[in-house]
Amino acid sequence: MKLKTLLASAMLSVFVGSVASGCTYYKPIVKIHTKQTEISFSWWGNDARNEYTINAIKEFERLHPEIKVNCHYSEWSGYQSRSNVQMASNTEADVMQINYAWISQYSPDGYGYYDINKLSEYIDLSNFEESELSYGMKNGMLNAIPIALNTQTVYINKDIYEEYGLEVPKHWNDIIDAAKVMNGKHYPLAMTQKSSWFFATSYVEQMTGKRLMNQNGNIIFTADEFKEMINFYCQLIKNNVIPQVEYFDKLKIENGEYAGVLAWLSDAKGYCETAISNGYEMVPADYTTFENRQLSGWYAKPATMYAISKNTDTPKEAAILLDYLLNSNEMASYQGIEKGIPLSKSTRNYLNKNNMLSGIQYEAFIKMNQFNSSIDVISPFFENEDYIDMYTDACNNVLYEKATLDESAVALYENLTKQK
Amino acid sequence: MKNKNKTSEKIRRSKIYLMLTNIVMTLMVILIISILVMSKTDETLKAKVSSIADTLNVQMKMNMESYLERMETTGTLIFATEEVYKYDATDPDNDEYDALQTEKIISDNLFDICIMENYVDFGIVYRNNHFVGKISNGTSKLFGDRLFEDLSKMINRQRTADGWHTGYNDDYKRIYYVKKVNENALFVSSFYSTELENVFDHPGGIGDMTVQLTENNYAIIYSSNEEINKPGTSIPDDIYSRIKDTDSMTKIDDEYLVSVSKCADNWHVICYIPTPIILTEKNEIIYFLVIVGSLAMIIATLLNVILLNRIITPVSSMVTNLDTKARTDLLTGVLNKRTFEEITDNALRLCNNEHFGAIILIDVDNFKHVNDTLGHAYGDKVLSGIGDILRDTFGKEDYLGRLGGDEFCVFMKVPEEQNEDFEGFIAQRCESLCQAFRNNYTGDDKSYKISASLGAACTYKNVKTFAELYKCADEALYKSKQKGKDTYTIFEPSDEKGAD
Repeated sequence: MKLKTLLASAMLSVFVGSVASGCTYYKPIVKIHTKQTEISFSWWGNDARNEYTINAIKEFERLHPEIKVNCHYSEWSGYQSRSNVQMASNTEADVMQINYAWISQYSPDGYGYYDINKLSEYIDLSNFEESELSYGMKNGMLNAIPIALNTQTVYINKDIYEEYGLEVPKHWNDIIDAAKVMNGKHYPLAMTQKSSWFFATSYVEQMTGKRLMNQNGNIIFTADEFKEMINFYCQLIKNNVIPQVEYFDKLKIENGEYAGVLAWLSDAKGYCETAISNGYEMVPADYTTFENRQLSGWYAKPATMYAISKNTDTPKEAAILLDYLLNSNEMASYQGIEKGIPLSKSTRNYLNKNNMLSGIQYEAFIKMNQFNSSIDVISPFFENEDYIDMYTDACNNVLYEKATLDESAVALYENLTKQK
Repeated sequence: MKNKNKTSEKIRRSKIYLMLTNIVMTLMVILIISILVMSKTDETLKAKVSSIADTLNVQMKMNMESYLERMETTGTLIFATEEVYKYDATDPDNDEYDALQTEKIISDNLFDICIMENYVDFGIVYRNNHFVGKISNGTSKLFGDRLFEDLSKMINRQRTADGWHTGYNDDYKRIYYVKKVNENALFVSSFYSTELENVFDHPGGIGDMTVQLTENNYAIIYSSNEEINKPGTSIPDDIYSRIKDTDSMTKIDDEYLVSVSKCADNWHVICYIPTPIILTEKNEIIYFLVIVGSLAMIIATLLNVILLNRIITPVSSMVTNLDTKARTDLLTGVLNKRTFEEITDNALRLCNNEHFGAIILIDVDNFKHVNDTLGHAYGDKVLSGIGDILRDTFGKEDYLGRLGGDEFCVFMKVPEEQNEDFEGFIAQRCESLCQAFRNNYTGDDKSYKISASLGAACTYKNVKTFAELYKCADEALYKSKQKGKDTYTIFEPSDEKGAD
């Protein structure tokens, strides 16, 4: 009897155990997803910039596995159009590379971008001087932080010039005369559409002593000054001083077909690096001038700036990324001086310690500092793409005899003042 | 008693053997069940993981095709502007101003279409290598003056006059889409292969799985593990050997789980992961089985012990009782004749020149008179008392037996320390026994005079069997009777010796 009881107990135990373990087996399995905050980052740039920025972002994601960065990039052409669409539709990236002019355009009251001062807990602003941060201030709010200072700079292929017995040009006539010597075999200078706008403005401002526009974007030039600008460009084309801006081909700098190029200081490496590696000596020239100029005619601005979207849902993460982009050694090692000589003290110290402050970009930076006293701060409205398109159209109308010089100048003046 | 212990020992040994057999069988059963469970689990796990990998792979293929289709559709949008396909930049009759204006329209159209995507190139290239729209320096430099010529070679689909290509001049960082616009114009768009990270992102997939996109020759276009498998290199041989000549398949073996799907332009999306990594769960199951198996073992062993005790203890007791009854003379409590002879015979085999043994034959004097005068019942009582005398006089190592009627026998081993004077030792025990008889039956009552005559024989004379020894002892007993009873005689083959 006892044996039966014992067996029954054992079987009951096994049954209860099986049921209990069965219940445990079927309990719900819950998997918590890895929490990752997604933010977006947009910039413009060439292949080299895209490549190192993508790698730097990968490094950032390794350092901050809790943050995923979605990258949006484009060459300059098209980037502003994209920004227009995004700013208008509130779909802009959380962290953006912006142009200096956009602060006035998108944030006239200072509310167009996030006030970065509110995120100073995450961004080391002590790396910047007040005067440097003032470029990004609007209505008492820090809308953007500049990466470096920038100016249009003339880069000369010294070897080509010497081939013709020419020295590195200093004055307007040096460049115009060089074209006569080169006789169509080389262009003494070449430039993009925007650079031609800067170049002609500088020429006429130096000549007349008048500014094209004031800091508020009001046009000061009259049709007469615009006539000078259009004529100057047309003469440059007709005399083979520069190729037409529509036909500008950066690769022709590399093979020496262009003996010089006008470009941003921040583009020095991108424009000249291959020519230098091809054996040419490229040097930054003095800022082109008249003997007795009345104005500098040359303008400086923050090379590019970083801003945070006013609509961001993740200001903290955006600020962490911004600090990484501006102040980290990792970003400094990837970026070097590609965007110009960084204003961030910690970044500059890193570059200095690692002997990365060298090359044509750094030489151009030194040149800019030498001329610093005569370089003016650019009006935020000066780079308006529509202005530049109108100017190019006016030039082409004259070049292709679709309108007279006077007619074009008047039309340009009217269009510009109307646009404003 | 010796014979009793032997039976118990046998039962104890049987119990241990039974227990061990049960444990071994339980172990084997658990082992077999474990192997079956493992085998089934392994099979199920592989099937499930294969199914997940297959789904993941197909999903990635669909992502990829969807991405490529989006790029193609975006490219097709350029045809919405008539100037795009009507304009021929190579026409020598073009008016330059008009050409510039047309190109500006085309360029604006291209930028409007492409601005929201991360295109590296998005432009139209003409037969004279002039281009409109966005053609990056990287692409210009890579193709040089073969821009139009080499791009046109990338068209491999006749129906739509377009195609995808990568690896141009061993540069796998860019992926190109080319579409014919007209005889002298091609549309080209391109993007960095790093863009595919978003296409192949699989946060919910199988961790550590490598995802690769390859060309039709299995050169890697994209790899989620770029540090090991760089774009442009071939996929690992181990993987190639498993997927070659296969368009769509998921396979798992002991080394790898591999899944492949063919997508547009004969490119392949390949996912793979070493099998041991995905079967790490198997180790957990083995661990679980070991724990459960061990617990089952312990429980089975305990149940074995308890059940066997429950079963064997009463059986053992019963068998011991039966054995005891079969071996014992019930009246006196000593061994019966058959058992005594058998045990003594066995014991004698162990005796030699160093270990001596002896038997003492005991015959109760005048016992017939007790039976005749006091009855058989009393006689039995007397015989029972004789059993007590024997047990009191001899030790536990000695065998006591009743050979029949009033005849008893004792086998005793002579302790080694008594070897020098073993006859004296035996004589002393005989005398003690005679005295015990006298003391018990010559007390206050004194109505009966019962005594015992003893005959002893030792093994020292090469007498080894019970029958031989018995014969000797019987002769010695006969002499004791002749001497007038109530005495003992130790057998001497050569001369007769007695004692009072």
